[in-house]
Amino acid sequence: MRGSGKYLPIVPVLAAYALLLLYGLAAPGKWQLVAQLAFYCALGQAFNLFMGMTGYVDFGYVAFLGVGTYGMAVTISSLSDGGLGLGIILIGFLAAAVFSTILAMAVGAVALRLRGAYFAIATIGVNEGFRYLIEGARIWNGADGIIFSRHLKTALGRKMAMTVSTFWADIFVFGVAVLAAVLTLYYLRNKVGYALLALREDEDAAKVMGIDVTRYKIIAFITSAALAGLLGASGWALKLTYVYPPDVFEIHYTVEAIIIVLLGGAGTLMGPIAGGLIYGVSKYFLAITLPGFQLLIFAPIIIAIIVIFPEGLVGILKGKVHGTSLEKFVI
Amino acid sequence: MKRKVLFLSVFLLAAAGMVLPALPCHASDGEILIGHPACLSGSYAKAGEQAVGGIQAILDWVNNTRGGIAVEGRKASLVYKYYDCESKKESVTSLLERLITSDKVHFTFAPYSSGLTLAGAPIAEKYGMIYMDHGGASDKIFQQGFEYVVQTIGPGSLYHAGTLEMVKAIDPSAKKVALAYADDEFARSVMKGAEERAAELGFEIVFNRTYPAKVTDLTPLLSDLKASNPDVIIGGGHFEDGQLLNRQLADLGIQPKLLSLIAAATLPAFGEALGDLAEGVMGPSHWEYGVTFSEKGAKKLGKMWIGPNQEEFVALFKKAVGKDMIPDYHAAEAGAAVLALVLAVEKADSLDPDDVREALGDLEFMSFYGGWNIDETGKQVGHSMVDVQWQKGQRVIVWPVAAQTGKPLYPKPDFK
Amino acid sequence: MFFEQLSGNLVQGLILGSVYGMATMGLSLIFGVLQVVNVGHGAFIMVGAFTALILFQSLGVPPILAIPVALLIGMCLGMIFYYGAVKPLVSPSGAGIRKVGRRQLGKAAGVFVAVMIAMRILSGVLDLNIAFSIFIAIILMYAFLVYVYGGRRQEKGPELATLLVTFSLGVILEEVVKQIFTSEARGYNWDLGKLDLGFTVLPFTKILASGGSLTVAVLLYLWFNKTRAGMAMRSVVEDSVGARVCGVNVDWQYALSFSLGIGLTVTSGVLLTMFIPVGINPYMGGGYTLKAFVIAVLGGLASPYGAFFGGVVFGLLENGSYTLLAALPGGEPFALTRFFSFVMLLVILLIRPTGLLRRKG
Repeated sequence: MRGSGKYLPIVPVLAAYALLLLYGLAAPGKWQLVAQLAFYCALGQAFNLFMGMTGYVDFGYVAFLGVGTYGMAVTISSLSDGGLGLGIILIGFLAAAVFSTILAMAVGAVALRLRGAYFAIATIGVNEGFRYLIEGARIWNGADGIIFSRHLKTALGRKMAMTVSTFWADIFVFGVAVLAAVLTLYYLRNKVGYALLALREDEDAAKVMGIDVTRYKIIAFITSAALAGLLGASGWALKLTYVYPPDVFEIHYTVEAIIIVLLGGAGTLMGPIAGGLIYGVSKYFLAITLPGFQLLIFAPIIIAIIVIFPEGLVGILKGKVHGTSLEKFVI
Repeated sequence: MKRKVLFLSVFLLAAAGMVLPALPCHASDGEILIGHPACLSGSYAKAGEQAVGGIQAILDWVNNTRGGIAVEGRKASLVYKYYDCESKKESVTSLLERLITSDKVHFTFAPYSSGLTLAGAPIAEKYGMIYMDHGGASDKIFQQGFEYVVQTIGPGSLYHAGTLEMVKAIDPSAKKVALAYADDEFARSVMKGAEERAAELGFEIVFNRTYPAKVTDLTPLLSDLKASNPDVIIGGGHFEDGQLLNRQLADLGIQPKLLSLIAAATLPAFGEALGDLAEGVMGPSHWEYGVTFSEKGAKKLGKMWIGPNQEEFVALFKKAVGKDMIPDYHAAEAGAAVLALVLAVEKADSLDPDDVREALGDLEFMSFYGGWNIDETGKQVGHSMVDVQWQKGQRVIVWPVAAQTGKPLYPKPDFK
Repeated sequence: MFFEQLSGNLVQGLILGSVYGMATMGLSLIFGVLQVVNVGHGAFIMVGAFTALILFQSLGVPPILAIPVALLIGMCLGMIFYYGAVKPLVSPSGAGIRKVGRRQLGKAAGVFVAVMIAMRILSGVLDLNIAFSIFIAIILMYAFLVYVYGGRRQEKGPELATLLVTFSLGVILEEVVKQIFTSEARGYNWDLGKLDLGFTVLPFTKILASGGSLTVAVLLYLWFNKTRAGMAMRSVVEDSVGARVCGVNVDWQYALSFSLGIGLTVTSGVLLTMFIPVGINPYMGGGYTLKAFVIAVLGGLASPYGAFFGGVVFGLLENGSYTLLAALPGGEPFALTRFFSFVMLLVILLIRPTGLLRRKG
């Protein structure tokens, strides 16, 4: 697939996000639901960037969201009196990206030498170890966490702070989702993607062929981590204006990311959107219709979907459009 | 083909049956809606179940015994709408907004815990909606400049004031206090308060260490504690770790004169789980079955009284949850928050959130839960706590003296 | 003082570590044979804890006698879950479901509706919850699809799929137990007296828990090395293609080891409650899952005895390091012990990814 058609698959992705965004803006009182769905899509999209291309399961992925959240929280709580106005948010995002990148480089240097279940467990160790380091050494206020709603109000004014928490934070989440999708496609269509594809099929063979596997792995790993940092900074820090270590370093969110990616189809571009929407909407409706029982219903449904359709929704779709003119839009 | 159509239509019907309850319910004219993104699963499921039961119990009382709420020249009844947020922060926002915009509730309740209360606060503030905090004890919530958050649970820093005063009154020779508690925001604020209070009263803190939340073995910490040989041990954090602390103190043969545990020791499950080992263990509680707040007592103090008496509340609670379960303070504080709303709505004679918020600010009353009064930030200042002690498998209120249902057992009997 | 505390903690750590080790053997066995990481591990421990609790409280059965019951319950659960959900993803003789198209889904929907109607009618008599009815209907619909259309398919499901399936199985267990017993934290009180060592005190129940764990580990060792069935299973761990050539029914070995792995895990729940008989609640397993992962890696991930050994090391490290870290000024030593053990995990993974005990061959 060469030439102008190379980046066509981004069209349906952008269309899907645009439609979701428009629905949120147009339908009264549905914005937070849309924001939650966008969060799931972005989570899946950012997670999929590394996991989908390499087949490595980073179980401690949530640690990057956690440090990103802290990046924003620390920035706002310490610079709120600086008269920076909206610039503080920009600095916060920068800090989030820097924090998560640094952590990713440290983790990557250690864990990326491992494979399969060893890699997954090592990354769990990183997440838990980092959380206990924060609590044990009292870094960033330790277990007391940071509550910075007041600081945000000081920095931006009451009205603006409220709009940031209830509206702009969610727009940023959309931004992260789109950025993740664009980067995924860009990588897929360039050297990184080809190298990682070879790696996913057979890592040793790829190495023998002279592909610098480690370098491309680290590129994808860091990109995915930085996106997670931005997602934490917008979807958790700016939106909720507080952070407690056990709330953000919670393995459950990695599991959610895996569910989303697998429901949609691992390694596909559209998969995380499809997965995020299915996951978010079903969770939301079960919480409303059967409060207290939703997990009892949801868990067997997940098993059923995974056992019966292991290739995910987009995997099925790919099979359906194979050989038709729509083929070049779906990956 | 026909069979296909039949299947499809039946399936659609069944699906519709599932989705129908999800359609927004709008208040009819004579109804006031309360919305609640409750925690019915996940880490706070225990407290969440109690809170939902407590709210339903008081609703029952308001609608059926009291005959509703008089507002704007009519009698309105209360309707309760709750969803399950799974104790997850990102579900709180969307469910809360749904309650406000689709279900058009008039008032909202916060989920349990300080964190989840904070998660929903920006949404409530955005819509200018009263947000009743019944389970977020952190003082910091009220330093953030929120205007619609109203607390019913007492602030964390006061939990152990009574306990320490009791020790000083009974046994002035007991000086050494050890603190061993969960490393989270709530337990930390409680223990910081205890530490300050202990210093004022002339106690000496001989041990002050935390353990990670959700710990499964406390032996190393407790061996360390044992070496400091304390008279009084104060600690805990949540339900499981409190039980664990008590059990492993006994296992290691540590015999303090007094053991007080937050959260865990005030629940009936504590005594069931530990049996004889619970004998003499104390805990500070916002409310306890057996407290002696009554309409007469309120009159004596010149305060307004509302709500069922304690026995009525317990009976209504059992009816609401459909089990033979004694309510604990999570239920009582959620119920009391409803009573505060009832009084404020009548006082403001309006359902407008700003009017009701103003009325809540001026409100001061007593109920089965005790006193209720908030300061200008919305923080609860009118409620005082009691100390309960396990005596022969029962929870007895031993402090303050005015609320006593039994004498304190001091020093506590040794663990066998 | 310092050494007294340290030795006390080490003794306690040794006792607890052997129980941890036992609690990880099931995880390692399942990984060794099926290459599946059981993410729902903790939930099975929880089932064991409830087994001990219920037997003791309602029938007065001492927890040590609950072990065979727990093993049985665990093996049954393991079999059901293996054939129901894990086999289609991992079976070596062709996995998955042949083809599910519109027609099959239509029939499954029919099953769902029929079950729902039946349950609704039944609910008039038995007072069934609507959520419970839906739960049963989904399960039966799923069973219908798997059993009627189950069969060979070329490719295996993605490895990730098994993570999610075991995770979801854990969630189902937690939610079912929560519906039956509520999320109240429970406990029991089985008192056998204490052994006072001077520098620390050990209740006999703890010693019994440790002894029980050791016994189970030894029995497992004997079974693997001295019986035909055990050796057949071991041959699958070491070389599944070779084992098949030699006439071992690999499919059945998969089922058996999954079931035995779950059985061991549920059993360890009983032993854990003998060590810590309080705080038993549906969500208690989470912490144990993470610990078990670390321990399994210490022991080499695929080796059940390695796991036992890893547990002992972990117990010693976690308890012993507290005394050392508490001597440092500032910080919270207990949280730092956790940090310390995860750092150890990374170090071991780097220098010796096959675990502390090097496997032969």
